[in-house]
Amino acid sequence: MSPPDIEEITIPDTVEELLGRDETSPDVPWVVIVWNDPVNTIDYVIFVFQKLFGYSRAKARRLTMQVHNEGKSVVANGAREKCEADVSRLHAYGLWATMQKDD
Amino acid sequence: MARRAFRRNRRGLVVVALHTEEVELLSMTARDMMSIVEEPPDGAVRDRLYPRAYLDPTEETAQSEYDALVHDDLVRDRRAAFQAIVAALDAAVPNARGQVEITLGAEQELQWMTAVNDARLVIGTALGVTEDLDTDFEPGDPRFEYGVLYSWLTGLHFELVSLLLDEIGEAGSDT
Repeated sequence: MSPPDIEEITIPDTVEELLGRDETSPDVPWVVIVWNDPVNTIDYVIFVFQKLFGYSRAKARRLTMQVHNEGKSVVANGAREKCEADVSRLHAYGLWATMQKDD
Repeated sequence: MARRAFRRNRRGLVVVALHTEEVELLSMTARDMMSIVEEPPDGAVRDRLYPRAYLDPTEETAQSEYDALVHDDLVRDRRAAFQAIVAALDAAVPNARGQVEITLGAEQELQWMTAVNDARLVIGTALGVTEDLDTDFEPGDPRFEYGVLYSWLTGLHFELVSLLLDEIGEAGSDT
């Protein structure tokens, strides 16, 4: 079997294309990321994670220390609409949160 | 800490005790913030108060939809929290020692906590606070007064967060 002609190979642009997933599919999982900032205190961020997500003190502290030490942490995931709601609640508490597809 | 501003009373409600000068400073700050959260100056302060939900520039449509859905409510809730502080301080009558005591309901606890933090976000961002930068500026430095205000608000916030952390406890989901 001869090797394929290099000109014939199309490289997929994205993981979604490679896997044949529809980018607008509601099944694509999203993640909510909280980023480190110099104003919000560690105790406050722990409180917000417990309050908004019902996490234990231990889990909330673990996520907060990851934000503090590594610059960011994934704090929640799910469908796009659920993640938008989570991000908006984090913004209401003054945390720096964003969301993106879970690649 | 020499004197605590926040404590819990026997009924479990948070009580805030402030001297009249502190009432004046907090009220003035909250009034300023009511207009700043509504129309923040373009740049770092606006970006910090109202960050993007999507970093991905190809999600511009989703970002616009997010803003349309969320922004006005965020502004309204922030303004209402500062308004609640102003109203509570206006209604408070100083005792013989020149101190006011205000008992906060469950919703007010959260409003005071988020509002004091929002003020810290605005002032800290405007001062260019970093993890390594102390806000104890020298007298004469144009940042001196706001540095003092920032430190004071940080102290108030620390006390209130401690009380609320005690209340929420250790238990919760680990997954």
